[in-house]
Amino acid sequence: MKLLRIVANGFRNCKDDFVIDMIAKSKKTSEDKEYELLEVDEGLYVYSTVGIVGKNASGKTTTLELMDWCYDILSTFRLSGKQCVYKGISLDIIFYEKGFLYKYVTELDNSDTLEDSANFKNQKIYRKKYYKSKIKQLYSDDWEQQGIVEESIPEDFSLIYFVLKKTTIREIYYDAFIENAKNYNATFRLMELVELDYTILKKVLKIFDDNITDIKQVEEKNYSVTYRGEERKYSDKELFRFLSSGTTKGINLYIVAVISLKMGFDLVVDEIENHFHKTLVDNLIMLYKDKQVNKKNATLIFTTHYCELLDLFNRSDNIWITHSRDKIEIDNMYEKYGLRTELLKSKKFYQNAFDTAVNYEALMDLKRELMQ
Amino acid sequence: MKYLIMCEGPNEKKIMDILIENNKLIVVPDDLVGREVYHARQIKTSPVVKTQLSMYGGEVEIWRIGDKQSDALSIPPQYKKQIKKITKYCTLPELEMLLIISEKMYKEYDKTKTQKHPKQFAKENIVFNKKKYKGDTKFYEEYYGRDIPKLIKAIQEYKHRNHSHGGDQHYLLEIVKP
Repeated sequence: MKLLRIVANGFRNCKDDFVIDMIAKSKKTSEDKEYELLEVDEGLYVYSTVGIVGKNASGKTTTLELMDWCYDILSTFRLSGKQCVYKGISLDIIFYEKGFLYKYVTELDNSDTLEDSANFKNQKIYRKKYYKSKIKQLYSDDWEQQGIVEESIPEDFSLIYFVLKKTTIREIYYDAFIENAKNYNATFRLMELVELDYTILKKVLKIFDDNITDIKQVEEKNYSVTYRGEERKYSDKELFRFLSSGTTKGINLYIVAVISLKMGFDLVVDEIENHFHKTLVDNLIMLYKDKQVNKKNATLIFTTHYCELLDLFNRSDNIWITHSRDKIEIDNMYEKYGLRTELLKSKKFYQNAFDTAVNYEALMDLKRELMQ
Repeated sequence: MKYLIMCEGPNEKKIMDILIENNKLIVVPDDLVGREVYHARQIKTSPVVKTQLSMYGGEVEIWRIGDKQSDALSIPPQYKKQIKKITKYCTLPELEMLLIISEKMYKEYDKTKTQKHPKQFAKENIVFNKKKYKGDTKFYEEYYGRDIPKLIKAIQEYKHRNHSHGGDQHYLLEIVKP
């Protein structure tokens, strides 16, 4: 399964017809096909990496949350725990699965019985066979509605189940506030679930802190750490205080990334640069662009304030810019700005070509106050 | 010191990938910047190569793999100190010469070479597993990927037959293990 496009209406404070489209739009060079794009079927290219940039409070995280919601529906066929009013939201999700394109439309409502769960209303699934020759009509209106009746399933259950059938990890969302003591347990559980070779953790540790050669989970909240050859015992909270924030994020995010690359599911990361040396972020992004590593078509989707990271992109259609005007809007860098690929994107960013500069007057207002 | 292997096209990259995966090159992945071979004509237009050079930071010898490679490789100022040597490894006039040699069609090609490029000749004449050669990378993978001796033999015979390389145009055979 590969997510291709989302159109949302009524989602938080986003503008109506809020679109995120993962299909390559601009010219595809052979170098792009090697590094920037993933071929999910003949001639059908999606991005290996997607960057979302914008000012503070411009809607980057909201965009990722929308994607996470859609991936949740595609993974578990349910939507819950989002601490949100679901009523009034409608989603239109297009995805690819085994030679077919599927379009799923649904309205959401709050469940009367389950706390913080969404009900799906007026669900419909459409399908069409993917043909390379019809690549330009991917979204054209020649869908065949599938004869699945929504009354046959519980109202908090999505009809997508009848297409994908198996609940599995199809995405992991690594949000900016995820770093806490409980997260080590989640990482170890995930490693166990996918039977990840334990030596990978040691290799990740070596990147972040070469004083620590091993971390083992003794019990759910207790860990054994080998620090400079000496074994130490820590609770999860003690471990969280002991490790640097970079090492904690390194263990959790890099392990999740390794699993995403090995299994081929997408990884969504908010503020990818937090706590990391730039090389570590560069390296993470490069792993997704390297087909010898990314063998199962995993996509890395991230937000960043670090516009130099955009210079790692050879294309501009895989970069999105969010703006908070009356509502949150999202623009595709290629479609909206038509940026030539050879230009340094970070340079254009600093020149405020995308209307993303910090309010200079606000900065000076504060400084003026401090100088008095 | 590490080697940066920059291939002109995806087919050259495939040939180099096959050679290195099968331990047929005089270098191993650990000798390479980023442990891989790159598809990049120029450093300045390849974010992948630029990032890998910056991440490594040490001294580098570049191997350029392609046909004539008449365009000079320009080195962005930030990498000038890092890059110690650049060597070109060529297959003239085009990479398809290897396929033509493997198919024992060299004499046939030789008769038509004034009218046809090797790529065109290969497209018209070379078929493998009932598939015509269309200039695609997958063809190289299927053709040489499971028959490494055939690839090595073609590289050896290319050197034996071709004497048109200029002074700075080296042969692939020079980086293949003896």
